[in-house]
Amino acid sequence: MNQSKPIQDQTRLEAISWKWMRYSGLLLIPLAWGHVLIQDVLVGVHQIDLDYVAMRWATLGWRLYDFLLLAFAFAHGMNGLRQVLQDYIRPPARMRRLTAILFGVWLLISLIGAAAILGGVRQP
Amino acid sequence: MSDIKTAFSGLVSYRGRVGHFSFILHRLTGLGTLLFLIIHILDTSTVYFFPSLYNHAIAIYRSTPMMIGEIILIFCVIYHGVNGARIALFDLFSPRGWQAGVQERSARLTFGIAVVLWLPAAAWMMRSLLINNFGW
Repeated sequence: MNQSKPIQDQTRLEAISWKWMRYSGLLLIPLAWGHVLIQDVLVGVHQIDLDYVAMRWATLGWRLYDFLLLAFAFAHGMNGLRQVLQDYIRPPARMRRLTAILFGVWLLISLIGAAAILGGVRQP
Repeated sequence: MSDIKTAFSGLVSYRGRVGHFSFILHRLTGLGTLLFLIIHILDTSTVYFFPSLYNHAIAIYRSTPMMIGEIILIFCVIYHGVNGARIALFDLFSPRGWQAGVQERSARLTFGIAVVLWLPAAAWMMRSLLINNFGW
């Protein structure tokens, strides 16, 4: 009983992670493709500068869009990296350490991105 | 190091053919997109933390090698999305799609759809590259 409980919890977490990848992935198709189509293909990096970002983020809807993209895409990507690493790292202790590091990196960069979206463009 | 060796010998020795190709391409396009995403979140965050740096970061993206990288990135995002949709739809709603003999066709179709969606985007971005960086 004492031994099977953590294993059960881990299995349940992996099942949630498995479903998360599929549902977030389906949501990311319109979100990420829309972003890429507008910014990379139609607008293009030569039209993008500080004023462009300021103009875009003046609309609350675009800030919300970017916030959702940040939340879903980055969590999907970092969990994907964890799943790939699981295939190659066998010692459980090493994998646990790596998972903790990945979680820390995910949290830190997510917070930096979220702060920027909430704070908006500051004119230099 | 031995892990890396195992990884690569694993790539060679497992001969899942079309499905194996999809598996590798799905992982490579995903990891490639993630690498860019990390850089992209941080460079965009300069608009709040170090606004004077933002236009310098964008200047790097406007260089020719980076714009070619951007065209490759767009392929990664498109292929990962199309093949990801196949994985999600089969896993969640129609596991029969994974049957041998059927799966190979959808794997090829996935790659075909990704290329067809990517070509016009790549052509338009190539046009922008030629106009802006080569004075067409």
